[in-house]
Amino acid sequence: MEKVSSLSELGLATDIHRSLFRPIHHAAPPSPTKRRTKISVVGAGNVGMAIAQTILTQDLADELALVDAKPDLLRGEMLDLQHAAAFLPRTRILASTDYAVTADSDLCIVTAGARQVPGETRLDLLHRNVALFRLIVPPLARHSPAALLLVVSNPVDVLTYIAWKLSGFPPNRVIGSGTNLDSSRFRFLLADHLEVNAQDVQAYMVGEHGDSSVALWSSISVGGVPVLGQLASDDNKAAVVMEQEVLERIRKAVVDSAYEVIRLKGYTSWAIGYSVASLARSLLRDQHRIHPVSLLAAGFYGIPRDRQVFLSLPAQIGRSGILTVANLHLTDEEAACLQRSAETLWELQQKLEL
Amino acid sequence: MARKSSSLLGLANGVSHQLFHPVPDSAPPYPAKRHTKISVVGAGNVGMAIAQTILTQHLVDELALVDRKADMLRGEMLDLQHAAAFLPHTRILSSTELDVTAGSDICIITAGVRQMPGETRLNLFQRNLALFKQIVPPVARHSPDALLLVVSNPVDVLAYIAWKLSGFPSNRVIGSGTNLDSSRLRFQLAQRLQVNAQDVQAYMVGEHGDGSIALWSSISVGGVPIGLGHLANGKKTAEAAEELEEIRKSVVDGAYEVIYLKGYTSWAIGYSVADLVRSLVRDLHRVHPVSLLAKGSYGIPEDREVFLSLPAKLGSSGVLGVANLELTEEEEKRLRSSADTLWEMQQQLDLKVKS
Repeated sequence: MEKVSSLSELGLATDIHRSLFRPIHHAAPPSPTKRRTKISVVGAGNVGMAIAQTILTQDLADELALVDAKPDLLRGEMLDLQHAAAFLPRTRILASTDYAVTADSDLCIVTAGARQVPGETRLDLLHRNVALFRLIVPPLARHSPAALLLVVSNPVDVLTYIAWKLSGFPPNRVIGSGTNLDSSRFRFLLADHLEVNAQDVQAYMVGEHGDSSVALWSSISVGGVPVLGQLASDDNKAAVVMEQEVLERIRKAVVDSAYEVIRLKGYTSWAIGYSVASLARSLLRDQHRIHPVSLLAAGFYGIPRDRQVFLSLPAQIGRSGILTVANLHLTDEEAACLQRSAETLWELQQKLEL
Repeated sequence: MARKSSSLLGLANGVSHQLFHPVPDSAPPYPAKRHTKISVVGAGNVGMAIAQTILTQHLVDELALVDRKADMLRGEMLDLQHAAAFLPHTRILSSTELDVTAGSDICIITAGVRQMPGETRLNLFQRNLALFKQIVPPVARHSPDALLLVVSNPVDVLAYIAWKLSGFPSNRVIGSGTNLDSSRLRFQLAQRLQVNAQDVQAYMVGEHGDGSIALWSSISVGGVPIGLGHLANGKKTAEAAEELEEIRKSVVDGAYEVIYLKGYTSWAIGYSVADLVRSLVRDLHRVHPVSLLAKGSYGIPEDREVFLSLPAKLGSSGVLGVANLELTEEEEKRLRSSADTLWEMQQQLDLKVKS
């Protein structure tokens, strides 16, 4: 890659580093390091840059590549990150409109996506996004055939399916950010009310990211203590009795909170940045942690094996992507919601020409 | 201020008591002595990059955001709060009213008016002065023991203004100054020298912006001083000086280039200010080039009450001391000349505040 600095053009001595530092006698040339972690982020908008910056701050990569269609914006963002060099670990930051810059990535994060135009149908928006993904995914896959693919663009479940088809990757290596952030918002609401650290609240939103997401009430525990486990049980004194109405209101509040941020500041960025960085850490550092992410849900929770749809389920993730899907207890109602979502997405996907 | 969004949704009050109970005869909680609160005034691109970086680096227990635009402010606050599952337990507040900043350890001011096409520098200063008259006195009143960190541009004059309006002792008012410019210089040198930028010691000092001074005489790499001869490839003094000036200009232009390309700068200033905050909050006694009351340093006359960037030791009481570097005559001359220019400009501002 070309040197970013033009200092040599400005007169700085070209071999000055050799006069300042000398290798020891008979030193061998450097071994090709096997442990250089490279992450590529496609789309340098608000979401892509919040993700890139959080990954940088958390020191998750040795090399970070940015891709966007707008060369000026891209270069500006790259420089703005590079200028922080004195305050950051030595991460190599590259940027290009050419996908060759993403070669040999361990993780490719796709945030690019067409925005819904007023009056546009969901299907039309999807068609535009398929066209966009046809430009993005095949070169990404070609340049990094062993990479993990993480899709953030919305509607994330369908777009993850599309990315899977276009990449030719095995399904464990194609993941959508899904309800990882919705679950964080859910946990925030609960933690704020219970005056406890959000990291001690376990609670999953699953299924389709967006309006039809499913809150797994039975999954909620605080510091390991199940909270709403047996809603109708009289013997469980620790259980808190809650009305369905209230539960639905809470679920909607979680879904609406994303729209609220968009209405107030125009877009969301920080939360999704942290959310995706958290996934990146679990994947690249092989953490085997459980996150609700969008994955190939066929065959789980009553979803027929031929319904090749991506939905969020709590899954153990690590260096090879999706390792396993958690076997939670779902109520009949919750399973039915998942199956309904699967049907809706399947029908929608049939209308796309892939 | 601490309205629980969840109580509106029907979640029973007192649920937390059902889930957790204190041990018998517990005393009420002590006011935590190590509770760090930082306020950021101005929730634009710069303010939010600073806020988010401070949050990610776990530097704060409580973060307050202030801005005039209520909707945008609330949106930014929610966007940070929604990351609760991924962050340490930080209390995040926001308000259009400055009383939300009460009890801060550090108040960071990023608010500022943007230069209008054709506007004179003096007029821009007057408008920023008017804005700071609204912001600084209440901030100082609500957090009388805080450190004041000014980021808004032109940072040196605005740091001076903030100092005057706050009534704080001079060690407690700092401008972000050339901390970032120095990082840009260190980045460029590090690229060339194939070394980690953190091992390149190089300071830009003086006035932040076009008039900044690169201390070529004080550059070292991994503790090894680099002579000017090395830097300029053995050329004669006049030519060498010219080439070094080109390098300095390219560092200054780096900021303009980012603004031209993406419309503003944010990430680098975010990291830069978070770096200063870490030294202040953790009392690190590290040396940073920041804008401070420069009179009496490097031959700047005692009557020149101006803020300029100089390398200084920073800690929990702010500026602990200004470094005594060996500057060349030329470098000292430039500093004094900057002091004169700023002083003349400041004379034209009306700093009287109705208290």
